Amino acid sequence: MNDVLSAFLLLSVPGLPLMLALGLMPPRLRRAAVFLAPWGALPALVVSLWPTPGITLELPWLLIGSRLGLDETARVFLFFTALLWLAASVYTMGYFRCRSSRRRFFTWFLFAMAGNLGLILAQDMVIFYTFFALMSLASYGLVVHEHTLEALRAGRVYIVLAVVGEVLLFAAFALAAVAAGGIEFEAVRPAVAGSQMRDWIVGLMLLGFGIKAGVIGLHVWLPLAHPVAPTPASAVLSGAMIAAGLLGWLRVLPLGETALPGWGGAMIAAGAMAFFYAVLVGLLQSNPKTVLAYCSVSKMGIMTIGVGLGLVAPDNWPFISSAVLVFALHHGLAKGALFLGVGMAATQPVSKRQRNLLIVGLLLPALSLAGAPLTSGMIAKNLMKVQAMSAESPWGDWLQILLPWGSLATSMLMARFLYLVWPRHERASGAQATPKAMWLSWLVLVLAVTLSPWFAPLADEQDHWTMMTMISAFWPVAFGGGLAVCVWLIDRYQWFSWSFKIPSGDLLFIVENRLCSLVAFARLFGFETLPKWRKGFLSGWGRIRDRSGSWSVLDSGENRFALWAVGTTLFLILGMFSVFLAAC
Amino acid sequence: MNWNAGLPLLILGSSLLPGLVIFFLPEERVATRTTLNLAGAVIKLVLVGVMVWGVFHGHYYETRLPLLPGLDLVLRADALSVLFVTLSSVLWLLTTVYAIGYLEGSPHRSRFFGFFSLCVTATVGVALAGNLITFLLFYELLTLATYPLIVHRGTEVARRAGRSYLIYTVAGGTLLLVATVWLYDLAGSLEFTHRGFVAELVDTHRVALTAVFVLLIAGLGVKAALVPFHGWLPQAMVAPAPVSALLHAVAVVKAGAFGIVRVVYDVYGVTVAADLGVTGPLTILAAVTIIYGSVRALFQDDLKRRLAFSTVSQISYIVLGVAIVGPIATIGGLVHLVHQGVMKITLFFCAGNLAETLGIHKISEMNGVGRRMPWTMAAFTIGALGMIGVPPLAGFISKWYLGLGALEAGQGWVIVVLAGSSVLNAGYFLPVLYAAWFKSPPDGWPAERSFGRSETAWSLLAPPVVTALLTLAAGLLASAPFSPLQWARFITGQEFLP
Repeated sequence: MNDVLSAFLLLSVPGLPLMLALGLMPPRLRRAAVFLAPWGALPALVVSLWPTPGITLELPWLLIGSRLGLDETARVFLFFTALLWLAASVYTMGYFRCRSSRRRFFTWFLFAMAGNLGLILAQDMVIFYTFFALMSLASYGLVVHEHTLEALRAGRVYIVLAVVGEVLLFAAFALAAVAAGGIEFEAVRPAVAGSQMRDWIVGLMLLGFGIKAGVIGLHVWLPLAHPVAPTPASAVLSGAMIAAGLLGWLRVLPLGETALPGWGGAMIAAGAMAFFYAVLVGLLQSNPKTVLAYCSVSKMGIMTIGVGLGLVAPDNWPFISSAVLVFALHHGLAKGALFLGVGMAATQPVSKRQRNLLIVGLLLPALSLAGAPLTSGMIAKNLMKVQAMSAESPWGDWLQILLPWGSLATSMLMARFLYLVWPRHERASGAQATPKAMWLSWLVLVLAVTLSPWFAPLADEQDHWTMMTMISAFWPVAFGGGLAVCVWLIDRYQWFSWSFKIPSGDLLFIVENRLCSLVAFARLFGFETLPKWRKGFLSGWGRIRDRSGSWSVLDSGENRFALWAVGTTLFLILGMFSVFLAAC
Repeated sequence: MNWNAGLPLLILGSSLLPGLVIFFLPEERVATRTTLNLAGAVIKLVLVGVMVWGVFHGHYYETRLPLLPGLDLVLRADALSVLFVTLSSVLWLLTTVYAIGYLEGSPHRSRFFGFFSLCVTATVGVALAGNLITFLLFYELLTLATYPLIVHRGTEVARRAGRSYLIYTVAGGTLLLVATVWLYDLAGSLEFTHRGFVAELVDTHRVALTAVFVLLIAGLGVKAALVPFHGWLPQAMVAPAPVSALLHAVAVVKAGAFGIVRVVYDVYGVTVAADLGVTGPLTILAAVTIIYGSVRALFQDDLKRRLAFSTVSQISYIVLGVAIVGPIATIGGLVHLVHQGVMKITLFFCAGNLAETLGIHKISEMNGVGRRMPWTMAAFTIGALGMIGVPPLAGFISKWYLGLGALEAGQGWVIVVLAGSSVLNAGYFLPVLYAAWFKSPPDGWPAERSFGRSETAWSLLAPPVVTALLTLAAGLLASAPFSPLQWARFITGQEFLP
């Protein structure tokens, strides 16, 4: 009985959102589906809190034989992902005033949700890839939802990179499957470690998942796409879906199996670069959602460092892995709360009390991301720092110096963000009240962020809280905040002014123009020049053909043949022949 | 004549007899004609179902009729032929329904359906042929039966396309005939045998066998649209939509690809072919065709032309799977025989629906068409995503096995071809989907016909929806019993027995 129940629960995690998304399509089911749509992620949340550990479900008939299951990694990912999707879905109910627009949004949203939740439960590469593709393709609809020129451009950049990522992953998974002789993650990790094609597999994985996780250089789509999507979509894109890339790495890379110092070092370096570079570019942005998107790139940099550490020091992987998980959980919840907060700040508060609530609700997750004392951010950062210190030189020494500066940089980025969204004005007359659904979902998420240091995987760390950790967590935030205030004062009183800006998508601008002109050239060549040449060739050929009369025989023969009576007679004879043969 | 010997003949007759009767029906006997068509298709489907069950349980079906001294006309059901017969009879039923709706009220329908039935008869004959001479007979019959379908509209363009088709295929047929005669002269037999019948000649007649192989592949490659023999296929897209659908999915192109499968496995035997050193060049030819077709497809604005070039590319996946030499790649190639058919027929049905309902022929006219015809475009989307190889659709399963098979056989470069082809497929299908779903529709369609509350006639809508569901099922339930994948594994198990 328990088996049946757990099978049902596991299937309902991707199943319910999938059914709701399909239910939104035919007009007859639409009303019921819209009514139920906000609760699509509920089974996932229930499963993530389900007490029995390690449930798995074999589906031998699905694809080439699939397995879904809930291990500890999946449980942590499922918890914050489901919570985020649930909050964003309820938020959506208030966010869209236009019904058809809401329905359109929910269709893509639920497909992406099914993919995101499903891939967390996946225990083999093929089903993982399936859900990953579903999520990637469906999010395109979220990115271009507003149909502005910006959104369409972001969508174009997104889909090109997503397709490239899918193809790289296909190659990586195929190589890994041949190496392992199977597709289960359990078998694949050790097999990759010992495979001759190891470097190919690891490299393709890093690139393929790196596109989703926003590894530096591949991150260009992220600051374009995350801000242009409607707010609830930005929240899940930047909080939950970005972590799917990380999960991919955790599932397939030979972490804890073998030491790959070269790849590990490359990942640490790439992560550190992303960490600082994204903060720098983010500070120069004026759209709060873009600032948050760059913040995500920077935070994913830390997680990339974590995975890199795991490749450098396989013996420490169990500890590093829990640090990475805590970090992913912390970042997902806090980033989701901040994105939803941007939407809240955009709808002006009705009363003073609401304004104060809004400010507190924006401050708490921002402080958490900056790693202030008593937040999940502090715990996550400490865990990562401990692991970084235990790493071999030179990485350990480097990271010890870099990480505190990173906290400082994040604090400044958060200050910049708060400056941009700070609710300055009282409500303009005639503005509509913010819908309750938005308040409710957002506050629940803020509450979850605030209370998360007391959640299960994080609570163990409280034993290690000392005065030293508090102080070391406090000074970057205080210093960064102070610095930000200084900058703000300079700006306010015009002591010094500058107007240096980096467009969102930064590196993209270097290549985009060239790529665009290349595509334009290819189109011109393919659609106009080539057909012209072809026509010229054919007319030349035609002239030669006309001169030689032999073709006319075929022409007249064909005309005669086209008379269907001839054909019929022919086939009648043939038919009689076959009957005759059958009779023998 | 007992049941086991009669069944292949009955399957052949279930489309031949209705076809012959239909030729003599007056144009206005619509009901009789429709009944005959559908009855034939359903009976064939039932008979094929019986045959699948029988073959799976080890029954032996063979019809053997004397043709020439020493050569018999052999119709035999083995696992491979059953795969192709099932595909063609399922898709024939759907295409018949579609064609009835498509041609409603147009002239020359008796002629059309007569040749249509003959075309399917020939395809089934090709599938069931138990030796090369029988194969050749039905292969040529297919050429002739298809020609009147391509020129059906009788326009100048259609006749030009028909002429080009005839020149190509008759030339190909001649090569095939020469090769068959030569092979008979060498081997003294033409019976298809598991793992080939020429093994003992390899040492003595190496050059001759290689030459025959080249001739056979060239002859079959014309229909399978291998580059550089593909020129007729994009032109032939002027044919009515159900003909294009059948042409690209089951009949002509597929017969060529099936022939190549037969030659490599049951004439030469895959190890003998590899030993002769002919599979390497064949792999390269297939890879070139895959990439070339995709690149050409990128630059077509005419929807059916784009689909035609896509076929050029996709058919070569089958050839690729065969040529890589290895059990897993073979599974990939064989399963693609079915998957490509189901996916491509969906796309052509949908293209026909757009043309018939709204007068849309070009991709540049497809803006916002998803809102006007959601079901058609949903089916199209599934077909297109399947072609790209997005899981869990049928195309992904093919690509997965091809990729794995190539790696297992130590030919890693094929992965690059598959990846490149996927990117190109995305490049020519995603813009179509984008235009249909995300752009706003124009004020009016080129030539709109009203069908009341539904988006188009049900007989036009049901077939693509069914095939789209089959595309989904073939991928999603790939490991269920009697799925194309399981059947391909079954066949491969016989070919690669230790």
